[in-house]
Amino acid sequence: MTTKTITPAAAPAAAPAPGRGNRKQARRNTLIGWTFILPNFLGFLAFTLIPVLAAFALSFMEWTSFSAPKWVGLANFQRMLASDSFWVALRNTVVYAIGHVPLTMALALLLAMLLNRKLKGIGFFRVAIFFPYITSLVAVAVVWNMLFSPDNGPINQFLHTIGIANAPGWTSSSDWALPAVIITSVWRDMGYYMVLYLAGLQAIPAELYEAAEVDGASAWQRFWNVTIPSLRPTTFFVVVMLTVSSFKVFDLIVVMTNGGPGRATTVLSQLIYQEGIGEGKFGYSSAISLVLFLIVLTVTVLQFKIQQRRER
Amino acid sequence: MKRRTFTAMALAVTASLGLSGCAGAAGTAPQAQDGKTTLTVSVWNYEGTPEFKALFDGYEASHPNVLIEPVDILADDYPQKVTTMLAGGDTTDVLTMKNVIDYARYANNGQLQEINNVVDSVGKEKLATLDAFDINGKYYAAPYRQDFWLLYYNKDLFKAAGIDDPKDLTWDKYAEIAKKLSGTSPDGKKVYGTYQHIWRSVVEAVSAAQNGKDQNSGDYSYFKDQYTMALDLQKSGATLDYATAKSQKTSYRTMFESGQAAMMPMGTWYIAGLLQAKKDGKTNVNWGLAPMPQKDSNGKVTTFGSPTAFAVNKNATHSDEARKFIEWAAGAEGAKAISKVGVVPALQDDAVTDAYFKLDGMPTDSLSKKAFAPDSTALEMPVSDKSAATDKILNQEHDLIMVGEKSVADGIAEMGKRVKSEVLGQ
Amino acid sequence: MTNMAEDLKAGAPPAGTAPAPAPDGRRRPPVAGNGRRSSRERKKRTTDFIIYAVLAVLVLALMVPFIWMVSSSLKENNQVLTVPIQWIPSEFVWSNYTDIWTRIPMMGYLQNSLYLAVIITCLQVLTGSLAAYGFSKVCFPGRDVLFLCYIGTIAVPWQAYMVPQYIMMQNLGLTNSFNALILLQAFGAFGVFLMRQYYMTIPDELCEAARIDGLSEYGIWARVILPLSKPALASLALLTFVNTWNDYMGPFIYLTSNRLWTVQLGLRSFVGQFDAEYAMIMTGSVISVIPILAIFLIGQRYFIQGIATSGMKG
Repeated sequence: MTTKTITPAAAPAAAPAPGRGNRKQARRNTLIGWTFILPNFLGFLAFTLIPVLAAFALSFMEWTSFSAPKWVGLANFQRMLASDSFWVALRNTVVYAIGHVPLTMALALLLAMLLNRKLKGIGFFRVAIFFPYITSLVAVAVVWNMLFSPDNGPINQFLHTIGIANAPGWTSSSDWALPAVIITSVWRDMGYYMVLYLAGLQAIPAELYEAAEVDGASAWQRFWNVTIPSLRPTTFFVVVMLTVSSFKVFDLIVVMTNGGPGRATTVLSQLIYQEGIGEGKFGYSSAISLVLFLIVLTVTVLQFKIQQRRER
Repeated sequence: MKRRTFTAMALAVTASLGLSGCAGAAGTAPQAQDGKTTLTVSVWNYEGTPEFKALFDGYEASHPNVLIEPVDILADDYPQKVTTMLAGGDTTDVLTMKNVIDYARYANNGQLQEINNVVDSVGKEKLATLDAFDINGKYYAAPYRQDFWLLYYNKDLFKAAGIDDPKDLTWDKYAEIAKKLSGTSPDGKKVYGTYQHIWRSVVEAVSAAQNGKDQNSGDYSYFKDQYTMALDLQKSGATLDYATAKSQKTSYRTMFESGQAAMMPMGTWYIAGLLQAKKDGKTNVNWGLAPMPQKDSNGKVTTFGSPTAFAVNKNATHSDEARKFIEWAAGAEGAKAISKVGVVPALQDDAVTDAYFKLDGMPTDSLSKKAFAPDSTALEMPVSDKSAATDKILNQEHDLIMVGEKSVADGIAEMGKRVKSEVLGQ
Repeated sequence: MTNMAEDLKAGAPPAGTAPAPAPDGRRRPPVAGNGRRSSRERKKRTTDFIIYAVLAVLVLALMVPFIWMVSSSLKENNQVLTVPIQWIPSEFVWSNYTDIWTRIPMMGYLQNSLYLAVIITCLQVLTGSLAAYGFSKVCFPGRDVLFLCYIGTIAVPWQAYMVPQYIMMQNLGLTNSFNALILLQAFGAFGVFLMRQYYMTIPDELCEAARIDGLSEYGIWARVILPLSKPALASLALLTFVNTWNDYMGPFIYLTSNRLWTVQLGLRSFVGQFDAEYAMIMTGSVISVIPILAIFLIGQRYFIQGIATSGMKG
């Protein structure tokens, strides 16, 4: 703030008042905006956007990766819609997302609130909650499968003691394998999203809480009327990222059940991987990913609409 | 205040430009030596697969003008990486074919050079599984290694139970003694009569081989007996149940080396691992080899196996050198080199087998030797562009039958239905 | 698409409801009298106790697989995957922790991983926060459509476009080098998205005030927004670092020479064609967690620091 390079009148860039905005101003803003975005955008365009568009184009072609692609129109999509495996994987992916997104979100927020305070040793607890995310996946799979073991696993033993006679078979049963995977993935991911919420909670000015307290608001009211609305941008980010990562889930399932038993936990990205690089049907696998992309986009828009309506 | 932002940007740009000068820290880059041809060979897990080093050292010793540079790829996703590299026009000279399914894919897509003359000069009749590589009379790869399945058994556990060595077993007899061998060892450990690993080949490939069937046919009724036996074994506790083995990622090596399994059908690749573990004192299991149990008791031994081969990349930089290397590696010299590290060569030769049984720690009884000479060895999976898709379906249904979600009959029917509709397009 | 763009814009708290800066910008001193304070303190102590208890139980539940990992790293390879699971090694094989450095060039792999993770994290944080400012605080036509492109690509699984991407990289002569990975991962949409959402929570009035003070847009970003977004920067840096550090598929596809390998590739080299050396893998995994812990312990301070400085400054 030592040198004044710009006069106040020329500066307003955000939300220009209607009527006053002139063409010169708009051009200026565009220029300024792009200089901010450009460093990231160049890399993003060259190394992500172009390959993604190429993959989408491939979904209308047949390509083995060894020869030139051949235009086949909608043949890949027709094959996909007729394929049993596609529908099974789609169903599993959707069920996984429905289970994974709300649970992870709720627990991550809960943990973030719990850990967003000044306590002795709070750093240790924060690290500990992040541990599942950095534990080797093999260890996660082995230990959780042991916990889920149908006959002598601790989880089922507990269910027996509280009087549930027909405890589920978890990872060795077609009906319960997906819930088992969801539980494990919630356990693993909540620390990750907790970090995001923790950052979001910092953005809430303490004045807001103090004002609410002065007004005599209970803890619950403060949570509902201060925390939740203030966290809206963070929540939107978390919801979108969680939805996207749920629809793209891959590693954990491969290590934990490898899609089994049978096809009970096969998901779309596994199908994309197997059909594409596994069997060399890149056109077909691109078609699946285009569908996956469209689904996620729709879900994201819907989530936003719902969230907005609730707030009005 | 602008200055600071620009400084930061400049820093970032400098940092990214500076990258080009930086090399990796783990080891030094290979140096090209004067007058030598550098031959690149794609391999998996170079450190953990001693056969590659044995071959390369041997070849370099007898061909001083050649330097071999392994292109080390992780074993887990080897075919995926090779596919990606080839898609980008990679020029690695020699490509190792991990299995015949990948071979079929690369060869049918014109990614490999035809090497009929190499195969001819090694000797077609000597390479046991060469037929697998025949695509309309042309060979695009030559096998140098041939693994096949046999039965490992724990001599001490057999002795303790008062059971004779597993000679001329039928599957019925195998199941019977597996049940007898199950129980508790003197030190209180649970002992299983046998350990059937979770791979579908343990049930399906062996059944196809002994019934003389093709696994791409879409008809799987012949799997029935083998599945019935496998389920009976796990139900009676004579083997670790499939669901546990799968979810706990049970290691077959642990099962056998810790004396928890008295028998174990497994491939010959395990011999090298077992010899090494004993040498390092990590196990004291007293082991022997026996032929795979059979469907019929006519004395003939039929098993299955899969070859590993070398091929020349279409875009190879040194095609001629690559051919010479393959000729050497698939031939007698290469066979000698790899049998020294306990790997079974594709070249069938009495001298090679004799040398193999002279390895330190190798059981030398006649049963073990008999196990090493099966009458016929079928391919684990046929060479076909349909094999990959079939394999996936058979795996999924195998899973369901073994965890008890589907009955044997239903599972087999579903396999047929799905392979017919999803793979054969009927 | 356009609707969505408008909605995103609306995601920012409307100017009217944004927290108005307190006149003096300081926290109000507590108004409570003596008696109320002590009862409050007692209450606080009870809450703290309950929180500690809950956390302790939670931590235990979260650490179990990690404990197994540590225990497995002290076993022989053929003792790791046993049935039933063995929690305490029958014999402690401490030598795993000395052997791993000679079995594989672990030090080199650690250096490579660190190099990649640091460069990618720095670039991601820098370019991400810059672009986020453009996307949240500067108004220009086409901004929201462009932003949607960013979010859209996150939804495409990498498995779908990795081969086209590889071919492109090969043609640019960038494969088998760190540069390929840095270029791929440093400019992802994740950082832009995260930082933009955070900037949305910072009231526009702050920027407005700074403009009146005569700051340029770059000055506002560097002097006003960046200091306020420390918690978000810390979490972006941490998550980027962890994801880069733990990435397996990217380095696997792009780094062929052994000397360029990262820790994750090095650990997978213990997996053979038919079996794996699990004790070694677990040993390496334990070692590779240590740098992440160090980064986390440094970074987590910023999560709490925000509280005191949040709200408005002068």
